[in-house]
Amino acid sequence: MKSRALTQESVDSMRAAPDRLAIEIRNVTVSYRSYKQRPTSLKESFLKFLRHGFKRSYETFDALSDVTLQVPRGTVFGLIGSNGCGKSTLLKVLAGVLKPSSGMVQVNGTIASLIELGAGFDPELNAIENIFLNGALHKKTKREMMARVPQILKFAELEEFAHTPVKYYSSGMYARLGFAVAVDVDPEILLVDEILAVGDERFQAKCEGVFEELIRKGKTIILVSHSMDLIAGKASQAALIERGRLVYSGDPIRAVEMYRDGSYKSALS
Amino acid sequence: MAAAASGTFFDFFYQLYAYREYLRQSVKRDLTTKYKRSALGYLWTMLHPLGMMLVLTVVLSHIVKLQMRDFAVFFLSGLIAWNYFNSTVMMSLHSIRSNARLFGQIAVPRYIFIISIAASNLFNYFVALAPLCLVTLFVGRDLHASALLWPLMVLPLVFVTVGVALVLAVSNVFFEDTYHLVEVGMNALYFLLPVLYGRDLLPPWLVKWLVLNPLFCQIEFVRGIFYEGSLPSLPVYILNLSASGLVLMFGLWVFRRSEDKFLYFV
Repeated sequence: MKSRALTQESVDSMRAAPDRLAIEIRNVTVSYRSYKQRPTSLKESFLKFLRHGFKRSYETFDALSDVTLQVPRGTVFGLIGSNGCGKSTLLKVLAGVLKPSSGMVQVNGTIASLIELGAGFDPELNAIENIFLNGALHKKTKREMMARVPQILKFAELEEFAHTPVKYYSSGMYARLGFAVAVDVDPEILLVDEILAVGDERFQAKCEGVFEELIRKGKTIILVSHSMDLIAGKASQAALIERGRLVYSGDPIRAVEMYRDGSYKSALS
Repeated sequence: MAAAASGTFFDFFYQLYAYREYLRQSVKRDLTTKYKRSALGYLWTMLHPLGMMLVLTVVLSHIVKLQMRDFAVFFLSGLIAWNYFNSTVMMSLHSIRSNARLFGQIAVPRYIFIISIAASNLFNYFVALAPLCLVTLFVGRDLHASALLWPLMVLPLVFVTVGVALVLAVSNVFFEDTYHLVEVGMNALYFLLPVLYGRDLLPPWLVKWLVLNPLFCQIEFVRGIFYEGSLPSLPVYILNLSASGLVLMFGLWVFRRSEDKFLYFV
């Protein structure tokens, strides 16, 4: 009787598992076609067709191959790996902007990406107009955004330049506005790609404060960084990716050790 | 395919509703920034078709001595409809490439940028109706009450325009010379459409074929309500609206099939 109850309990906990996960991906593969010479015009395609028929002129290259990963709710999850290993591709898959070639992606909750700050800004518009435009891209109404404009401007410290078209902004000001807009949507999951170095030292401290606050609120943060100290210090879990494959997922200290050690590379090839 | 296409078709209208605030703002943005640096500003939306009309009217009715009553009104009413189609398609061609950074950041339906172009141009078209009405009164013609039905009569034209813009924008992502082909094609299309001439100038056997062009009747509709003061019969209108809806559906279907590949190409 007792053992049965236990079994029931474990089944329940397994059923409840997806709720505890912010992100679950299973067997995700992203294949890019790397063309030796991709025909970029109709004429070229036609000539190629005449010469080679339907023969493939590309090789597939897996930016991610068969990655299975679970990110529990409320964790700071670090992603590390050398340049070109597939971290950014993974972030794009999680953000829902890149559809994987195969595999399953499940994201529970609203997601915001701080991959490229201010990507949605129109240089001709001023800060306030851009805040509205960006909000509209997140399906926010004008009234909703109206209330938030002052605090976004205050956070970005751009009240003085609120009516200046953003094309006249310095890159620091631009990034500050981008950061303020991105964190304002109050996401449950935040994708962060190497952008803790926004603005001057004082503003960086402010950004860190925001992150601490988000962590305290139990938000999930996916953190891509080449700063191993940051990963070891901030992340509660980490994954190491190499050549599109997941090498290790778990304790961040261990992941950093493996990355620095480099011995996993030989195991792959 | 039919089921999938109709699914995307209804989802399309839902997305239009969901992103109505974005569309509203981007139309406003387009209207305010387009003529920012020009002295006459937004007036150009009206002056441009007027200038075109003036040149053509002088050439055709005074030099070539083409016989047609009030050619200015006839030409202008067709021209602004053609301009709507032409500029929406040409502007859409680059919309995917130029918004690629945004696609990589926020998950939005990618056709939203093409819709926003179509919406801005529709507003410009609406504004260009003002000089059309002025010219009509100036040459001493009556403004017909049928002109009030413009929103209904322009609908088939909008459907076809968006459908064509979607297909060509996709094509331009994969083949960059689509732009040049379209540029040439637009010139040919201009003469295949009843912009410079009416169907009574053509032999009937030719008209029979030309009406199969999904823009032919659409342009006649919006001209009819201003020039002749005529409305199409209900069956003709419904037939054209459905055919135009099919063009839009086809455009959406093509777009949906390829939009996941955009990030791999741009």
